Amino acid sequence: MNTQVFGVRHHGPGSARSLVDALRSLAPDILLVEGPPEGNELLALAAHAEMCPPVAMLVYAPDDPSDASYYPFARFSPEWQAIHYGLSQQIPIRFMDLPLANRIALRRLERAETSEGETPADGADGPSGEGGTSADPQEEPAAPWRTDPMLLLAQAAGFEDSERWWEHLVEERRDTQSLFAGIGAAMTALREHLEGTLDQQPVLMERYREAAMRRVVRAAEKEGFQRVAVVCGAWHVPALERRPKQTEDNRLLKRLPKVKTMATWVPWTYGRLSYASGYGAGIASPGWYDHLWGAHGDVAAPWLVKVAHALRGEGLDVSSAHVIESVRLAESLAAMRARPLPSLAEFNDAAQAVMLFGESAPMRLIHERLVVGERLGQVPAETPSTPLQEDLRAQQRRLRLKPSASDQSLMLDLRKPNDLARSHLLHRLRLLSLPWGRDGGSEGGKGTFKESWRLKWEPDFEVALIEAGRWGSSIAQAATAAVVQDARECEDIGQLASLARQALLAELPEAIEPIIARLQARAAVAADVLTLMDAVPELARLARYGDVRKTALEQVDSLLEGVLARIFIGLPNACSGIDAEAAERIFAQIQGVHEGLQILDAAALRASWLRTLAALAEMQRLQGIIRGRCCRLLLDSGALEEEGAARQLSLALSVGGDPSQSAAWLDGFLRDSGQLLIHDHSLWQLIDQWVSALSQEAFMQIVPVLRRTFSSFEPAERRQMGERVKRGMAPRLGAAPSDGDFDQARAEATLPLLSRLLGLEDRE
Amino acid sequence: MTTPTPNESVLRQHAEQEFAHELEALRAADAHPRPPNWKLSPWAVRTYLLGGELENGVRIGAKYIGQARLIEIAISTLATDRALLLYGLPGTAKSWVSEHLAAAISGDSTLVVQGTAGIGEEALRYGWNYARLIAEGPSEAALVPSPVMRALEKGELVRVEELTRIPADVQDTLITILSEKTLPVPELSTEIQALKGFNVIATANNRDKGVNDLSSALKRRFNTVVLPLPATLEEETEIVQQRVERLGRALELPAEKPALQEIQRIVTVFRELRQGMTEDGKTKLKTPSGTLSTAEAISVVNSGMALAAHFGDGQMRAADLASGLLGAVVKDPVQDKVVWQEYLETVVKERSGWKDIYRACREML
Repeated sequence: MNTQVFGVRHHGPGSARSLVDALRSLAPDILLVEGPPEGNELLALAAHAEMCPPVAMLVYAPDDPSDASYYPFARFSPEWQAIHYGLSQQIPIRFMDLPLANRIALRRLERAETSEGETPADGADGPSGEGGTSADPQEEPAAPWRTDPMLLLAQAAGFEDSERWWEHLVEERRDTQSLFAGIGAAMTALREHLEGTLDQQPVLMERYREAAMRRVVRAAEKEGFQRVAVVCGAWHVPALERRPKQTEDNRLLKRLPKVKTMATWVPWTYGRLSYASGYGAGIASPGWYDHLWGAHGDVAAPWLVKVAHALRGEGLDVSSAHVIESVRLAESLAAMRARPLPSLAEFNDAAQAVMLFGESAPMRLIHERLVVGERLGQVPAETPSTPLQEDLRAQQRRLRLKPSASDQSLMLDLRKPNDLARSHLLHRLRLLSLPWGRDGGSEGGKGTFKESWRLKWEPDFEVALIEAGRWGSSIAQAATAAVVQDARECEDIGQLASLARQALLAELPEAIEPIIARLQARAAVAADVLTLMDAVPELARLARYGDVRKTALEQVDSLLEGVLARIFIGLPNACSGIDAEAAERIFAQIQGVHEGLQILDAAALRASWLRTLAALAEMQRLQGIIRGRCCRLLLDSGALEEEGAARQLSLALSVGGDPSQSAAWLDGFLRDSGQLLIHDHSLWQLIDQWVSALSQEAFMQIVPVLRRTFSSFEPAERRQMGERVKRGMAPRLGAAPSDGDFDQARAEATLPLLSRLLGLEDRE
Repeated sequence: MTTPTPNESVLRQHAEQEFAHELEALRAADAHPRPPNWKLSPWAVRTYLLGGELENGVRIGAKYIGQARLIEIAISTLATDRALLLYGLPGTAKSWVSEHLAAAISGDSTLVVQGTAGIGEEALRYGWNYARLIAEGPSEAALVPSPVMRALEKGELVRVEELTRIPADVQDTLITILSEKTLPVPELSTEIQALKGFNVIATANNRDKGVNDLSSALKRRFNTVVLPLPATLEEETEIVQQRVERLGRALELPAEKPALQEIQRIVTVFRELRQGMTEDGKTKLKTPSGTLSTAEAISVVNSGMALAAHFGDGQMRAADLASGLLGAVVKDPVQDKVVWQEYLETVVKERSGWKDIYRACREML
């Protein structure tokens, strides 16, 4: 009987290559792989023609699918290659890790304990892919080798970081003879040192896991297999080679808590394999590893050709001559750095110096596209899945909307049935917390029938889908249930209105009824005018969108009318007797309601609104900022003549009043509208006169408030104003110019300047 | 190649003269293979530029303090017979690096073409001795070689400073030289083929506007290394300190070695104004119109030392630095002055231990 343990690094292309060679020469009759035993039945699918790595084995607890673990595999993962070898040789393959049923249960137990007091240690959270770098993070700030024990070996060999050391020794190695024996010896020495000299005992979870692995190995041996091949993270090799007594392991594993689990394959991405995704055993450069695995013989030229293609795709001129020179530079750099062959660092340096003229910005593109890569895996249709996943897949096929890991933009024309259905799907998924599509930013065209999206599929969504299974068995049904539940828990009518709009966009007619009912109920009891005002912008948008979306929304119209009527009546009262801070809030709300009314096609409502504003503008006891803004809105809507506004202004700014109120009025009137001030001469003069007339004390008192108003203007506007002030009463820019009716005196005032410009007159 | 005898009375010595002992030690210890006509192997050149200790115990001072990979790329580029373009803001040690590369690789940093707007083709190819040309007709004796031509003949490095200041049509003379490594002389129906070891190091700065951008044909023949501004306060302080010490020695300034703290203050001022933010990242600042490079910081400290030596008590104080600082920061008399005043009032005034510098600068304004 012969049991051989192969220590690998998860996702190491060199390890994978060596492992395949080693397996061929051993020709095992059973293969044991570090992985969740729940996935044993799914292993056969790995050889399916439609299975395309990167994929991950997902194991979850059906009662709470967010409690899930992933075991990702890329095509260059040693485990993946081992599984493929096993399937092609038709030998039994078994996953040997501690079942997730136990691990999830233990995790929950731990969480329940920590929630009672101490800070949570989220070490056990990561999937078991850590292998080589497996020690769980400690709570106290620890020496670097505590989280990365390999560092001890790397430092002994004169390397600064363990990644480079491992890559140099294992992944870039050419001859694979006796590699695994060497790894085993190194790890044994390392763990003896850690556990003996440094007294660093493995954490409990790790002991459970290794005991479970040993149990599977023992079982295989007992069943009479002659050549047992064991593939695991290098870290675990010593624990599997020098086994303690069987009874000890049995005692350790006895009575571990358990939950029910289910397993499936899900597509994965290279982005999620990289460090950036927060996945514990991530690697720095999946795309590069993929290239290493795929390239036979020459690595350099094909890689730099890929780089050149990516850059050309972005409109950068890169010729074949550039590629040739880059290869030469990379090779000479490698020689200089005493490496047998150029590696990623050399290729990056060469590409930057030769192809990009030293610029660093496009290197980010190369990093994202090539070094990390955007590859998205695919799993066969036979993979066990929940009804919701099936429904989504069917809809994706029908609507020709393929999930992709790269960021794509999509412009939908809502007049086309297919695009409309796509929009509904994306909105529904959003309600299910699956933001596959996000707002595409610029609305691309003014029309409301256009909708722009940015699409990016994240592997997490598969879990979110399984989780959303509790709401229903089709996307529409689940989204309806989810949004209605949200509405039921929502108190705020602004948020309710927003939910209603989202339901409308997602075309969930069955959800709209209950949400509107809830909205009406809340609006009826909402005594506060200000709360009502919060809801107006959303409601207005709702009423507006109803038209395009062919959804009957009479209820919204009547609701909006009711809400607005109450606002018109209650607003003057709500505005009186408040302090400056509350006035600021009302200021924003008045603006919001005004804008909401602008998009509605309701002349009667607008007229009532303007009447309310006019009343507010005249109420002298209100906060200045509110009166100022009302006056301004009236002026903009044409409800107030310019003379009227001038009168209001001079009244508000007259010497008799409280200077701080005058300044607040000005703030409300002018905020965010420096251009008006620059170009409207009469306005300018009014303010100018008011400022000049202020007494020293009054001026000092209002300077801060004035500053606040003026700081809201663009710097260019402020500069223009400053220059104007410096010139004093010099050239008037003039109010709106009109034909024929011009001021003779003002026209003549320009003559001296003109003649000077034309050189008709000597300087005095 | 004739090695000029180092003359103690020259104002500034060439790199190969000033560091002759280091180059000699490196040559003696160098066991790596050398590209043809190189005086040192690429590894030794790297050690010369980045500093280190040789096996025989000789310490090599660092000439360039910054990212080692940039220097590695530069040396590898020259080893692959591609031309090297050093690119960056003024004062980021482009010419400095090119001089030392030439000194280490060819043992001669004197083959230089200074690029200006008025430069003609003959500065890059060859000119004629007109008296001879008229008397004898075209002959090799009547030819006046340019530094480029001499470098071709000797298999050495030639430096082209400020490449982007050279008019575009003159720049293009370099294309044939760089791609075919030959310089045709049609008047004599002959050509000069480059010996192994010939190469071009060009420098160009990316700050100045209105210069002649390289044509893409020419650009393609260069590998570009962008030299960045120093990354950290410590790195920049080290650069300034080291250079000031050397310059002080060369100029025989009797002043005491400037205190590290004084240099740190100057570097802090420069970095903060350059970044438009204080080092603690808490206050936003306006940036002046100048580049405020490390080279300028070096010259501020240097002039402070000179002031202290000749007019003060030999100890560099805030007052000795103030005028230099003002001159370095205020390039535009109107805008930069406002920037400088604001900086003084909002940052310098409040900083503990900076009272002396605040007072000294206030007096200058």
